[in-house]
Amino acid sequence: MKKVTVQDQGVVEKTKCHAAAIGVAMKESVYPLTATVQYPRQRKKMPDNFRGYILFDPDKCINCWECAFICPANAIRMKEAPNKKYYPTIDYGKCIFCHFCIDSCTDSALRTTKIHDVAYKDMDEMVTLTEEMIEPPEIVREDTKLVEYLIDDKDLQMKKTREVDNLFVDEVPPSVEIPVVSQCIDGASCIGCHVCEYVCGSGAISSSIANGVMNMAIDTDNCTGCGLCVKECTMQILKLVRK
Amino acid sequence: MQEVINELLETMMSNQVSVPVIQPVIDMAAQMPMVGLGISFILWTPIFALLICPGLSTLGIFLLFFPWIERKLCARIQWRVGPREIVPWLGGLIQLLADTLRFLFQEVIVHKDAHRPYFLQFAFLSFAAALLPLLFINAGDVIAIASPYGVQLLLALVCLFPLFILGLGWASNSRFAFIGSVREAFMYFAYEIPFIIAVLAMVILFGTSNPILIPDKWGIILNPIAAFTFFVGAAMATSRMPFEIPEADQEVAAGPHVEYSGIAFGLIYVMCYEKAYILSTLMVVLFLGGGSGPDIPGLTVHLGDLMGIVWFLLKVIIVMTTMFVLRTIYPRYRLDQGLTIGWGAMIAISLVALAWSIVFVFMQQGGVL
Amino acid sequence: MHDADIKACEEVIEMATVAESKWEIKVPDKPLKDKVYFENLKSVVIDTEICSRCLTCASVCPGGIIVVGDKVDFPDYETKCLDCGACVRVCPRFVYEPLSGMGSSTAFIAGRSKRFAGQDGAMVTELIVSAMEMGIIDRGLFAGRNENWETEMFHVCDPEQLAITTLSGTKYTFADVLPELKKAVKFTKSGVGVVGTPCIVSGVRKLQQEYPIFREKVKLVVGLFCTENFHYSAISQYLCDKGVDFSKLVKTDITMGKFIATMTDSEVKFKVKALEEILPSGCNVCCDFTAVEADASVGSVGSVPGYSTISVREAIAVKILDYIKEKGYAEFGEADPGQLGFLVGHKKKRAENLKK
Repeated sequence: MKKVTVQDQGVVEKTKCHAAAIGVAMKESVYPLTATVQYPRQRKKMPDNFRGYILFDPDKCINCWECAFICPANAIRMKEAPNKKYYPTIDYGKCIFCHFCIDSCTDSALRTTKIHDVAYKDMDEMVTLTEEMIEPPEIVREDTKLVEYLIDDKDLQMKKTREVDNLFVDEVPPSVEIPVVSQCIDGASCIGCHVCEYVCGSGAISSSIANGVMNMAIDTDNCTGCGLCVKECTMQILKLVRK
Repeated sequence: MQEVINELLETMMSNQVSVPVIQPVIDMAAQMPMVGLGISFILWTPIFALLICPGLSTLGIFLLFFPWIERKLCARIQWRVGPREIVPWLGGLIQLLADTLRFLFQEVIVHKDAHRPYFLQFAFLSFAAALLPLLFINAGDVIAIASPYGVQLLLALVCLFPLFILGLGWASNSRFAFIGSVREAFMYFAYEIPFIIAVLAMVILFGTSNPILIPDKWGIILNPIAAFTFFVGAAMATSRMPFEIPEADQEVAAGPHVEYSGIAFGLIYVMCYEKAYILSTLMVVLFLGGGSGPDIPGLTVHLGDLMGIVWFLLKVIIVMTTMFVLRTIYPRYRLDQGLTIGWGAMIAISLVALAWSIVFVFMQQGGVL
Repeated sequence: MHDADIKACEEVIEMATVAESKWEIKVPDKPLKDKVYFENLKSVVIDTEICSRCLTCASVCPGGIIVVGDKVDFPDYETKCLDCGACVRVCPRFVYEPLSGMGSSTAFIAGRSKRFAGQDGAMVTELIVSAMEMGIIDRGLFAGRNENWETEMFHVCDPEQLAITTLSGTKYTFADVLPELKKAVKFTKSGVGVVGTPCIVSGVRKLQQEYPIFREKVKLVVGLFCTENFHYSAISQYLCDKGVDFSKLVKTDITMGKFIATMTDSEVKFKVKALEEILPSGCNVCCDFTAVEADASVGSVGSVPGYSTISVREAIAVKILDYIKEKGYAEFGEADPGQLGFLVGHKKKRAENLKK
């Protein structure tokens, strides 16, 4: 067994360390900083991109199912609505608030809020139906102050202001927008199943038959770049290409 | 019969605590038959020292509010807020009262394997036995028993404290309690010897061990080494960081206290602060010239004996605060490190202090100082 | 999106050499003009009982033709068939011109792998693993089996997976190779290697003829010498009746006109002729013994026991065998093509069954 030897610093060094420690304690007892946010009377100020409770706008949903596919925790299930369309429902017992669904939503039908403290009475309540996701949940606002941490190189400061945070965020613009369209990379391998045509939400893919030859065409102006056709193509010969 | 009573009355009246401010009220009350007797009984110095200061009442107030001071101050240093929910606009001041109420309502569980008599008796005994040294401390001129061997008696009684902790752990008959009390036993021997030597050094310096007769000189200036040794020894005795070894939460799950609940736990929890109070009073008496202070023009005359008490309490508060703030600065020592310090460095330093005292006395007697 | 993501997207887009907005698809002929294409397939191939159960149609169908056990079937095809015509284009028996004979070959040798153990010389495994090591393919499709000797398909991407010994060895029941091939083509990066009976090889070649993606991605096609295959339900029942205990079964072999089932403690032998009663109808009209369309054909006839006969046909197979020779992974010997004469002729005669 090896014996661990600690480097002996010498009495002077040690005394200096002791003195420094005691000095810090004395300074802090007189002029301290407090890092505690006294929730619920104070609330921490969250940035606009904060990953909180998710709200949904059904008018913008194009049924691409991207949110359900990309959810890493399998928290999103698509349920059929009376109008024959499928809308997402989120199980907050599984949701890890990564917001991949919001990032992948093509038309920003899903949006974020700064609400992070919703309480449920049991696990069944945590499965949020689509109707419940359209309006924000009931919130009791006990907070009277807003706390912000200002951090620079050496120091941490708390700024408390007597205002109440707005929990709802207007649309956060995505950082980079790249317009892409769907294109076929191997037309000869197409089997003519028309799945891409059926599945396209904006009707950008069309087909016609003439003289024993079927012609498929993608209208790049109408194509929204949602990628549904790329996913559903039987021979996997469609790809998203920059416009 | 009548003579005995007359003698008693005479002893009582001759040894009253004099507080010029409230003297008119006392005179008026003395007119009334029973009340006057009662008031003069309370103002009889020994009873005053026992009941009010530095005895039970002061101790009670300290126990109620000192943990609050400790928690708030430590929180402040650690960038936290400390207790604040009980009465928010007071800043959680009566937190301890709420805790005590809760302890009173909680059930004292004596588990099957525990040695029931000792389990319960030690809990209450430790609290009571810790009160004994208060008899020998003086706050200014107020003292309960002024014996020529006061300091030694005090020391002997202070040495009793750890035995109760051993008893607690042994009676609990539980793994962690056992380990905790074994650690306490180790540390007890480690700190007691330097502690005693430091006190002896001061007794030699002052030439007397009667607390009343100890001059109002500041021992901390005369013999700072002994002061340092005493302070560290006191920290070890009260299980304060960095020496919180017997009852380390993360290592032995509160050590000897682990099996207690309800008012028994409340008393044990508070015993730690009691010990700290007593050792701080001893430190004030020996090293900080307990009870003496600068003359405040109007106040000293009017308050009389109370002035001494006020200074005494101020100094005790300062010493106790310093002891408790140590927990924010230092991490916990390991058992073997604590023992090395106690048996190694501390004995050496305390012997140096002793030597210093002896040299000092010789020089004083030789007329050099 | 971060810069790294943008770069990744650009790389993917560059891989697509041609990106078009318009393309054409050939529309195949329909014998039954007013019915969907699956019904056409059904009437021409399935109902006339020349379907070989190669499952090429199942692999390419976007709706997913469901194979109900032994027969190829598509429930609800009247409503669910998308009428794309892919199944008709790729079925090798839609316009059936049976192939037969020894086929062309540049070499006819016997080989025994030093690394693997299989039915005879384990040369099929050796060919595919060597192709993987050479980088020609990144996965091979093997048929394994469960304890009841039902076939299961495996994608083998690493030779270490071949520690599962059930991947080598002949299983005389149908394996669903072609649907698995379609999946492999979807996921592969450098290429796929596939093993199959002559009907499966024909299916692959038809796919490659019709769709360029299969030309690109299927790099190695190994054929097996085959007289017939059997439906699992039929042969398992037959063998059970003969006293074969599947839990103890180690190897099945057809050699010298006998079917030999080797178990851990005993053996069951009987004449192959007895199996004629459970011969599938599709095999009854197949004339191809040596898998003439494959890159290389492997079998047991024509070499001494313990060695596999290899009929080397295409350049890719030559390349792989040279690599094997160079690395010394197998021993090679002489094979006698004359020994195949009887079986080749036997299968050629089955063309008469077609006329019936």
